Amino acid sequence: MKEHSLGEFEEIVLLTVAVLFENAYGITIKEEIEQRLNRGVSVGAMRTALNRLEKKGFLESEFGEATAVRGGKRKRYFKVTPLGKRALDYVMETRKQLWDAIPSVAFDFKFS
Amino acid sequence: MRKESDIYPPRLASRFLRWFCQRDLLEDVEGDLMQLYAERTNSGRTKAKFQYWRDVLLLFRPGIVRNFLENSNSTNLAMLKNYLKSTWRNLIKYKSFSTINISSLAIGIASCMIIFLFVKDELAFDSMHKKNIYRLCEVQDFPGTETQKVALSMAGMGPTMSADFPELEGYTRFWGFGEQRLQIKGKNEIVDKVVGVDSTFFDVFGFELIHGDPKDQLKDPNDAVITESLALRLFKKADAIGETFTMNDGDETVVIRGVLADIPENSHLQFDMLMNIYTIGAPEEINSRFGNNNLVTYFIVNEKADLGELEEKYPEYLTRVTQREDINDRYKLFLQPLKDVHLASTDIQHDYHNYRKFNGLYIDVFVLVGILILAIAAVNFTNLTTARASYRSKEVGVRKSIGASKSALFNQFLFETIMLSSLAFVIALVLVAIALPSLNSLIGRSLSLWTFFYEPIYFVSAIGLSLVVGAIAGIYPSLRLSSFNTLIVLKGLRLEEKKSFFQSALIVVQFSLALGMIVSTLIVLQQLNFISKKDVGFDKDHLMLVKMNSESQDHYREMKNELLQKSSVMGVTASGQRLGNNFHQWGFKIRKDTALVQFTPSSLYVDFDYFKVHNIELAEGRPFDASIATDDGLAFVINQALADELGLTEPIGAKMGHGFYPDDSLGTIIGVTENFNFNSLHHNVNTLAMVVHKDWWYEEMIVKLSASNVEQGIRDVEDVYGQFIDNYPLKFEFLDDHFNTMYESDKKLAYIITIIAALAVIVGCMGLFGLSAISVRRRIKEIGIRKVMGASSKHLLGLMSKDFALLILISFVIATPITFLFMRDWLENFAFRISINPLIFLFGGVVAFAVAMFTVSFHVLRAVSANPVSALKSE
Repeated sequence: MKEHSLGEFEEIVLLTVAVLFENAYGITIKEEIEQRLNRGVSVGAMRTALNRLEKKGFLESEFGEATAVRGGKRKRYFKVTPLGKRALDYVMETRKQLWDAIPSVAFDFKFS
Repeated sequence: MRKESDIYPPRLASRFLRWFCQRDLLEDVEGDLMQLYAERTNSGRTKAKFQYWRDVLLLFRPGIVRNFLENSNSTNLAMLKNYLKSTWRNLIKYKSFSTINISSLAIGIASCMIIFLFVKDELAFDSMHKKNIYRLCEVQDFPGTETQKVALSMAGMGPTMSADFPELEGYTRFWGFGEQRLQIKGKNEIVDKVVGVDSTFFDVFGFELIHGDPKDQLKDPNDAVITESLALRLFKKADAIGETFTMNDGDETVVIRGVLADIPENSHLQFDMLMNIYTIGAPEEINSRFGNNNLVTYFIVNEKADLGELEEKYPEYLTRVTQREDINDRYKLFLQPLKDVHLASTDIQHDYHNYRKFNGLYIDVFVLVGILILAIAAVNFTNLTTARASYRSKEVGVRKSIGASKSALFNQFLFETIMLSSLAFVIALVLVAIALPSLNSLIGRSLSLWTFFYEPIYFVSAIGLSLVVGAIAGIYPSLRLSSFNTLIVLKGLRLEEKKSFFQSALIVVQFSLALGMIVSTLIVLQQLNFISKKDVGFDKDHLMLVKMNSESQDHYREMKNELLQKSSVMGVTASGQRLGNNFHQWGFKIRKDTALVQFTPSSLYVDFDYFKVHNIELAEGRPFDASIATDDGLAFVINQALADELGLTEPIGAKMGHGFYPDDSLGTIIGVTENFNFNSLHHNVNTLAMVVHKDWWYEEMIVKLSASNVEQGIRDVEDVYGQFIDNYPLKFEFLDDHFNTMYESDKKLAYIITIIAALAVIVGCMGLFGLSAISVRRRIKEIGIRKVMGASSKHLLGLMSKDFALLILISFVIATPITFLFMRDWLENFAFRISINPLIFLFGGVVAFAVAMFTVSFHVLRAVSANPVSALKSE
């Protein structure tokens, strides 16, 4: 289903926002991904992904408090929308169906 | 205390981010980045800054970058379209104006480009050599001859100077061996330009070896290096390493160790084959030769060396190596930087290895003229655009009344002029592309438009220059146009255009340039005509110069007798050097009263009938006579200059001999010739002594052909030559051709000046054409009224042209003295020159005036002959 299409990186970002729940803004998302998946994430790549997810309606955002360390700039907190939740469910569902469809012998590797 | 710059991330990066980032993303993105930066500074500020920059640059991607067109004021784009449209409409509406306006700027840019290409080509001469190279030159001051700068030096100087002076870090000598005959597998081959050099040749010069190692060349006396095209000719392959040959039927085998890429056009040294200099003698012998100057020496000089200090050490050095007391009265050494070899050697004589040398002073003049032409074209452009402003006052009025701001109008007109100047740039490129091939063949260069594309910096700066010219030219009219008062222009009142000083000055400048160029062209042409027509004191027509070689030396007398039988041959003689260059100077002694005096005049050995064949007049005495035994080696004919220099009351009969003759067996002076110009007309007639030595090596056989039968004559010479000579092909040239090539660079200069003059006149006329059109247009009603009142066409023409005529008169007054000084300097290059005739200036003035009046009258006549009613009823 087209409306639920998610890229791999988008999926990770969306999930991370869900994981962080109330505390999901630029830097925490970036650090969370870096920690959990052990990979570097550039601000640019992450921001593009967030932007796209918001446009698709999977995320919504609102401005939070400003701090001195941010030069007086506000944080933008992200939250997963019901549509986003459905998209995640859909992805998981399709994967699960695929997993179930694998014949049990397919992974029966023989190492000799 | 921490500085502000420590707390905040790099400002430039932030500004960049703010500029490109989508507005609604900017706040939190920048906040994120700053927070990250603050955290990262704990582990090193530099690294944090670097990472900040990296993040910002990585953010510059679709999805983050804002849509500039959409988000900025969208009317801008629409206005831009509108500007384009009105630019186009105005171009079409005033066709002749637009044509003149754009094409004069295009011509200006094109001339500038061509001059740039030319100057760049000249300055890039010898640029393949990267070392700090100097050429050793001498100022010679011998008794009985004029002081002269020569490019030659003595064989011993290279090695001894380089050993004595630590400033000199390397040397190579360059000794032209001329044409040589090789034997390859028993077959004879002639090679034109063979040169003897040191094994250090490739340390000094950067000629490109395509086969062989530059460090490994010419180590052995029997090593040789040849050019690629010679390799292809001799061995039918480029990689000729290891091939061998013998020379002049000798036994020594010479081995080729390297093959050079063909010597480029822009090298002052030109040669086909390099040999080891020691092939003609042992090192000890050659390196201690201090008698004659027969080769060129080059040094690598330490960058930090003080040349003045070095020069002070030369006298002591000269005395030591030559062991002659008077050496420092005779010789001064100096080092000439490599770039001067090409551009500043016109006063140097005996400069045999200097291909295509050029007078560098002209380069400055060309640059100046190029800038002037461009400046004039740009100012013309400004002027025409400003003048056209009055035609567009209604447009300005309407735009203003519907709300165009002053700055919008300013932008519009600036945009328009920049569009026009870009168009001019494109046309200029096309013009250059069209003009270059014929220009190249005219001035003997290979300039290429691609130079601009190979080196983008030139292309970019050329575009930049055109745009800047457009912008500068546009600012003044834009300011004027945008400041029109809305009401006044809409009510249809014409703006009173004041006669601006600026416009007048412009006309004066361009006509001064045009006038100066016209007069210079006339003077240069006159001088060249003078050179080719001047009676040089001998006949140079139908004289065939046949190159001699070891074989024809032996058969000279037989060939001569055979040739004299032919009806097409008027006379045959031979000579050791060719007319047209300065002859080598040679030591003579002359008995004056009772004392023996040493003299070093130019010297020439000839065959008996040299004077008869060349039709050289004798002032006194008799020519050489083959039937008098002592005329072979013991009779001298001198020229008038030497006779005057000697100051003998009765030169005929005076005792004279070569420097090496014993004092008691001197010969006699038997004749004095008129001063004929054996050297080029750039130089005065030097003192000259001539003598016959039947057995000396003649350089050329000179055959005088019958004027009515030249082709038959050439065939006869070919026949006779073929009868006697087996191993060398016939090589000949005509003396008048040789003289023509001698003045080649002067002629090329004449072409260039003529072209520039034409350009200056064209650009000048275009400016005048446009301005006169405007001034006529402005006074069209006045003309109409005057005509109704009964003014004649002639009267009106005079009235309208008066102002322009005055300006041209002023240019005449300004241009005349400047041109006079310039041309006088130029003429001083020639010892034989015309005197500048004041009538030439008058003539140039009249030509410029006529052209200007013709241009002006074009519009005036049209206005005058039109029906006055149509002029008067128009509003």
